[in-house]
Amino acid sequence: MSRRSYSRHIPDFRLISHHAENGKSVVHSTNAWTKGALLGTVLVLAIVLANLYILFVLYLLTLAFYVAGRLPLRLLVGWYSLPVFFVFTLALFFLFTEPGNQLASMSILGTHVAITDAGILLLAKLMVRALAVVTFSLALFMTTKFQDIAAIASKSLPRPLANIFLLSYRFTFETTDEVSDVLDAMHSRSGNLVRGVTRQTRLFAGIFGLGFIHAFERGERIAKAMEARGFAGKFPQYRELGRPSAGGYAFVALAIVFCALALYLRYVDSSLIGGL
Amino acid sequence: MAHVHLEDGAFSLFWVIVWSVAALCLIWIAIYSLNRKGGLSTRKLAMAAMCVAVGFAIFQIEIPIPLVGAVHLNLTPLIGILVGPGLGSLCVLIINIFSAAIGHGGWGMIGANTLVNIIEVTLGFYLYRFLRSTLKLGRFRSGFGATTTALVASAFAVVAIVTISGIQDSAQSAEGTLNNMLLLAAVNIVAAIIEGVVTGYIVSFIGRVRPDLLPDLEQERGTRVTASSQEVTQNV
Repeated sequence: MSRRSYSRHIPDFRLISHHAENGKSVVHSTNAWTKGALLGTVLVLAIVLANLYILFVLYLLTLAFYVAGRLPLRLLVGWYSLPVFFVFTLALFFLFTEPGNQLASMSILGTHVAITDAGILLLAKLMVRALAVVTFSLALFMTTKFQDIAAIASKSLPRPLANIFLLSYRFTFETTDEVSDVLDAMHSRSGNLVRGVTRQTRLFAGIFGLGFIHAFERGERIAKAMEARGFAGKFPQYRELGRPSAGGYAFVALAIVFCALALYLRYVDSSLIGGL
Repeated sequence: MAHVHLEDGAFSLFWVIVWSVAALCLIWIAIYSLNRKGGLSTRKLAMAAMCVAVGFAIFQIEIPIPLVGAVHLNLTPLIGILVGPGLGSLCVLIINIFSAAIGHGGWGMIGANTLVNIIEVTLGFYLYRFLRSTLKLGRFRSGFGATTTALVASAFAVVAIVTISGIQDSAQSAEGTLNNMLLLAAVNIVAAIIEGVVTGYIVSFIGRVRPDLLPDLEQERGTRVTASSQEVTQNV
C-alpha cells in the first residue's frame, strides 16, 4: 500500500501495484495479452471515431471495464485531473479561434474574442477521447501483476530497452518514496513552497540533485550486486505468461472488427451509418 | 520542459504512425550505436534505470513559481548530460511509456514525445560538452546554457510537430494552429529558463559531490574533473 503520493491528482505507482497484486475480479484474471491488445484497439477507436456520441459510448465501455475490475472510482476522478488539464490547456486556444457559430463573445483590451459551437465540440471530443484511453490504461495497470507486465516487456521490447524498463519499474517505487521523503522533510521544517524564483529553483535543485546522487550511488551498488549474482544481460522470468483463452481471442477479434469498421467508415466510405 | 502535452485523439492516426516510426528509427539508431560500443554494461544499465526512475519521480512534482503558476520538470537535458545521448534516448522512451500508463500524455503521443525528448537529451549532452570543454565555462553556466538552449529548441519542435500534424477534427488552418501553439511555446520557454537554472545548480552540485559522474564530458577532453571550492561557491 502506498505510504503517500505527491497529491490526489497524480496516479500513485504503489497504489496501482497494490490493486494489481491484491485485487480479485474477472478483469484481474483476464490474460495480460488480451488486455494489452484491447488497449491497442481502444487507442485506435479513440483516434478514429469522430462522432461524439459514439465516442461517449466508448468511454462508458472503458469505465465499465474499470468498474468490473473492482477499482475505486473516487481515485479515478482525482487522477483525471492531469489529462483534463492537458486537454484544457490545448483546447482553450481552439475554443476561441475555431471557426463556427458564435455562442458568446466579449472584448478584452479591444480584441474581440468569441466561443464557438465548433470550439466546444472540439473540446468535448478531445476530452472524451483522452478519458476513454486513460481509464482503460489505468484499469489495465491496476489489474495486471508485475510478473505479467515483465513477461510482455521481455517479449515485445528489444533487450536493452526491456532491461531498462524492468529495472526502472522496480526502482520507481524507491525513488518516488525518496523524493517524497525530501519534500516531507522540507514541509516539516515549515518550508513554504512558494518563494522567490531564485530561492525556489535553488531549493528544488538541491532536492533533485540529491535525488540523482542517491540514485547513482544505489545504481552502482545494485550493479555490483547483479554482477556478483551472475547477471548475464537478461532478467529471469519467474512466471510464464500463457496464451489468451478462447473467449479472450474472441473478444480481441471482435474489437479488431470494430476497429476495421471504424477505419473503413472514417477513411473510405463515411456515408455508411452516417459516418462513425 | 517541452512536451507534447496532448492526450490520445488529438492527432490523426496517420500522424501518430508517422511520429512513432520516426521515433522508432532514432531508438533503433541509439540501440545500434550502444551495441557497437560493446553493449549495455551492468553499471550503465543500473544508471540508466535509476535515471528513468528519478526522472519519472521528479516529472510528477509541480514546482509553484510566482507569476508563472506551476511548472514541472523532467530534466531530460540533465539525463543526456549524465548518461549520453544514446542511453538517454532509451531512458526518455521508457519515461514516456510510464507517463502514458498513468495518463500523463497519451499512448499515441509516445512517438512524438520521444522525438522531442531525444532532441533535448542530444542537444543537452553536446552543448554541455561544447560549453564545458571547448569554451571552458563553469558547470553552472554550461548546464544552464545547454539545458535552456536544448529546451527552447525542443519547444519549437513541439510547435512544428503540432502544426504539421494539425489537431484532429479542427477546422483551423496551419497558420491558426501555429499561432495557438506559439502561445504555448512562450510558456514552455519560460519553463525552459527555470529548468535551465535548476539543471545548472544540479550539475554544479553533482560536480562538487560526485565529479566522476560527469567523466565523458570533462575528463576525456582534458579539462578539470574536480571543481575547485571557489568555482562551486561562485556557481552555487
